[in-house]
Amino acid sequence: MQRTLRFKRELQLLTAEPPPGITCWQHEDKTDDLRAQIVGGSGSPYEGGIFTLEIIIPERYPFEPPKISFLTPIYHPNIDSAGRICLDILKLPPKGAWRPALNISTVLTSIQLLMSEPNPDDPLMADISSEFKYNRTVFVSNARKWTEQHAMAKLQATKADSKENAIPTGGTSQKRKGEDVSRGPKKSFK
Amino acid sequence: MSEISGRRASMLRQWPLLVPQDLHGRVYDGFLSLQDKDFRLRIILPSDLQLKNAKIQCSWPLKNALQGYEPILKQRLQQSSHLPSFMMELKTILEAALKNTNALQIPPAPQYYSCLVKDIEELGWDKLSFVDTDFSTIQLKVEDSSGREHLITLRFTARYPNEAPDCSVDLPVPFSISWTPKSSLCNIVNQVEATLESLKDFWDTLDEIDKKTWVLEPEKPTRSSTMRRIALGSNVSITIDLDPRHPTMLPECYFLGADHVVNPLREKLNCNIDLWDPENGLLQNLKDVLEIDFPLRSNLEKADFSMDCGICYSYRLESAIPDQVCDDPRCGQPFHQACLYEWLRGLPSSRQSFNVMYGECPYCNKPITLKLSTKRS
Repeated sequence: MQRTLRFKRELQLLTAEPPPGITCWQHEDKTDDLRAQIVGGSGSPYEGGIFTLEIIIPERYPFEPPKISFLTPIYHPNIDSAGRICLDILKLPPKGAWRPALNISTVLTSIQLLMSEPNPDDPLMADISSEFKYNRTVFVSNARKWTEQHAMAKLQATKADSKENAIPTGGTSQKRKGEDVSRGPKKSFK
Repeated sequence: MSEISGRRASMLRQWPLLVPQDLHGRVYDGFLSLQDKDFRLRIILPSDLQLKNAKIQCSWPLKNALQGYEPILKQRLQQSSHLPSFMMELKTILEAALKNTNALQIPPAPQYYSCLVKDIEELGWDKLSFVDTDFSTIQLKVEDSSGREHLITLRFTARYPNEAPDCSVDLPVPFSISWTPKSSLCNIVNQVEATLESLKDFWDTLDEIDKKTWVLEPEKPTRSSTMRRIALGSNVSITIDLDPRHPTMLPECYFLGADHVVNPLREKLNCNIDLWDPENGLLQNLKDVLEIDFPLRSNLEKADFSMDCGICYSYRLESAIPDQVCDDPRCGQPFHQACLYEWLRGLPSSRQSFNVMYGECPYCNKPITLKLSTKRS
């Protein structure tokens, strides 16, 4: 009951007042599946990229946090290769810090902030994290390469290249559960 | 002994204002003169006359000036072999410290003020919108030919009008004034007005966008902002970034939103790109190229949220209303009993005693108690 009421209200708010650099919509009119896009923050290695996320609203929402993961590959200490995000507000207390006072909009804003300010002390990707800590220039250039390769495909399509459009904009919106095809080239960056 | 008396003599020669207060030369009291100012200080040496254990008592102005330099002073005390050499170090540090503080700056000469007042008079006092208490920062307002008001912020140095004031205007392009000692505020205003005029088309274009579309970002655009995120429909938006010098050219843009809505728009943009005509204005071009009408700001009533439950975001839950309120006056967030119970019961930090539940407010984390009515337990 709470879930339906709140979901409706949150959708209205996300439409009328989306957070800066973030958009969020219902996926195929389902009530438990949302999609969001976050624009990479300026000054970060994700600048110029558009990152798509999947938001699953659990049955017990808002008593449980939304399940959010990146669909667009991202090179980040706190986001793993399956797109899972290590962020305390995405977990229930006592381990996490989710509260019903938070909502989809504030959680997405926090993820946007996490992108700009990784937390290497609570890493999900140990090697990326130590790179971030001890070899910042290498980290920035790797993250930048990933952004260009995975998160900027859509932008290129805008540049009046109709061939680009013929290829389904797969990279960013396809689910990548279990499929490691798009992940192939990343090893070469190390 | 002769070495010590020799040092005392050199102290007296170099620092005549610092007078020994006892026979052994352990206490000195007096002044350190720098930049026409005298700073009172007292130096107390230990019985072995070792500087590293010395105490330095400073008067309030000296202490103020040396604020933040304490670690350097301590280090110098450790390193100096005798008092005269330390005094030289102290003087150098104080010189550096004074250079960095404005507190001790002398106010500008009277000519500064008379010149500034004369300049403002020439310009007209109605142009002045703000003056700070030092009369070192002023704001002038000017109107461009489309009736938009702009503010010029000027910061003066004491050497005005020989030195140009620092001038800032909220503009999307870099701007600097040219200045000679003969220039006056009128020159600045003229230079700014010329720049404003050159940006007239840019602001006309953006004003039209702001008025006739639903701009999601920035919430309160400044005059320097060249970016707009415009709603195209529910949860789809286009972000454009204008070139302030060529506002009606095709701006940099990208779409946000679901693929099935965005892809057709992107295709239209690619196909119709040739239709773009800089003579037509940006909004008309966007309409023509995307083949859409821009929606106006939806009048979603900004219903008063403060009455709604902080958990389910609504007022009525079945028939119940939010009757539980956080007791902390700074929070005061209302909740439905059922919603708050559902949240608190899942937390290890909550506990229940008969029909009262103790926990933390999900908004402010302050303790909150929930009395459970008998029908729900």
